[in-house]
Amino acid sequence: MGTTISKALIKKDLKDIFRSKTLMVTMIIIPILFSIIFPSIILGGALLFDAEKIAGNDGQKLIDAFLKSTTGDEFSSYNLEQQMIYVFINFMLPNLFLLVPIITAMTVAANSFVGEKENRTLESLLFSPISIKTLFLSKIVASFIPPLFVSIISFVICGVIINSLGYPLFGELIFPSGNWLALIICLSPMVILLTVLLNILISARVKTYQEAQNIGGIIVLPVIALMIGQVSGLFLLGVQLIILISVGILIVNLVLWSIISKHNDRYVLFEKQIH
Amino acid sequence: MTSFIHVEGLSKSFGQQTVLENVNFKVKKGEIVGLLGPNGAGKTTFIRILNGVIKPEKGSITLNGMDPASEGDRIRKISGIVTESAGLYHQMSGKENLELFAELYGVKDKNRVAELLDLFDLKEHQDKPVGKYSTGMKKRLALAKALLHKPDILFLDEPTNGLDPDGIEMVLTYLKKYNQETGTTMIICSHVLHQLETICDSFAFIENGTIAEQGTLLELENKYVQNVTVKVNTTFKPQDKQYLGFPCSVVGESIVVFELPSKNDIPQLLSSLLKNDPVYSLTIMNNDLQSIYFKVRGV
Repeated sequence: MGTTISKALIKKDLKDIFRSKTLMVTMIIIPILFSIIFPSIILGGALLFDAEKIAGNDGQKLIDAFLKSTTGDEFSSYNLEQQMIYVFINFMLPNLFLLVPIITAMTVAANSFVGEKENRTLESLLFSPISIKTLFLSKIVASFIPPLFVSIISFVICGVIINSLGYPLFGELIFPSGNWLALIICLSPMVILLTVLLNILISARVKTYQEAQNIGGIIVLPVIALMIGQVSGLFLLGVQLIILISVGILIVNLVLWSIISKHNDRYVLFEKQIH
Repeated sequence: MTSFIHVEGLSKSFGQQTVLENVNFKVKKGEIVGLLGPNGAGKTTFIRILNGVIKPEKGSITLNGMDPASEGDRIRKISGIVTESAGLYHQMSGKENLELFAELYGVKDKNRVAELLDLFDLKEHQDKPVGKYSTGMKKRLALAKALLHKPDILFLDEPTNGLDPDGIEMVLTYLKKYNQETGTTMIICSHVLHQLETICDSFAFIENGTIAEQGTLLELENKYVQNVTVKVNTTFKPQDKQYLGFPCSVVGESIVVFELPSKNDIPQLLSSLLKNDPVYSLTIMNNDLQSIYFKVRGV
């Protein structure tokens, strides 16, 4: 019974997301920006201009700094331009790329409860024999799936662009590196789940979508950005640490889930959300 | 006969504001009860507490032997509700809405959705988004949604709000018929008292957060209507302000109003009038639900 209800709710929510123009626009524009425009500018720029000349000594210093922490003969055999592109693709772009799942997850999850409340349908759901746990779980899954797909699709598109523009420079396929694989398989799903859980926690408390987005923007985004900022160094440190951090976020997620399931009973949800 | 719903000493407040206080309420199985009261009297809160979505502070409640606080999901499985806002997904079609709620309520009968769409004249519009439905269509769809799982009890909060006279007639007739055929207990909240008069078996008046009175129309009439005011359509023209000792007045062409101590005096008045004049109609003016409602409220 619980599974049937969950499936029905998830199906409904997913259909709603695809029907909502605002949500769809966010889910299209953000990936285009981070997985098409940014890598295209850098790689296209490198193909058109002489990056070594533009960067000069500073470029060399930056690369030397990176070299200290990275190993690999392959990297040392690259010329400065190749090294710069390689650093951007494998160490800087992943940070920016993480914004794709974060922003899409924020937009979708913030809408989850408040959307129902604004359409006055949350009342119908709370009057039906759905357990609150099933309701939250369905909302979490429904908010998790679209950002996950968007990030996977973005990953593929990004890969195609990097490899097709990078091939003339490197003479080989440079994507995906171990960092990128660890990012898309472990870190990105965990970060999506973290964003979804935080936003659902907020969405179940506030009265309007705008409020949910504002709080999401003020509290959630800086928290995640801070975390990602801290984490950014990890792309230099390699795959194991990315996996370790993913496990860390998984633990935070489990704690958040236990908070959500403990502090949200039907009464709280009804009295907070329905007038 | 044991009560289907039994509420005793129920109280509820939101912060400083007391919404319900010492509510006592009983409903027999298969009964249609009209829950009447002004806006803000606590009707909606009361229904929400009975469905276990709002926590009461004091008092005991049983609904079909179950406590909404501990067996809420079991109660919600046997109860159908039409809320004032209808609670439908406007971006989804009528059919999609019913299909979704059929799954949420565990409805196994695959034909149930089609059957209800047909019954409420919505088949033609089943693929249209509900946002494009008229108010009447939304109300009918909300009612179909509430009946999907063939509930044992139906809560209807202003079910005829926004309906045209045809729609009101259709919904009320259907509800009465459904109650007779299935024995479904119904609680109907409404402001439109004359609509409830014919459909409800008994009435509960909620005033300042408490049930001020509950009973059948006859019980309420016996308790609250002492003097009877009758309007008589006749050619009789009273010469005096009294007739047979009953105060009377002419209020229109061929209309005379008499004040009688009780309705038992009507036969005497009629036979006396009919000796010299024809009588075309006689209506008791102050025993209808609306008059009793104002008397209970002391307005």
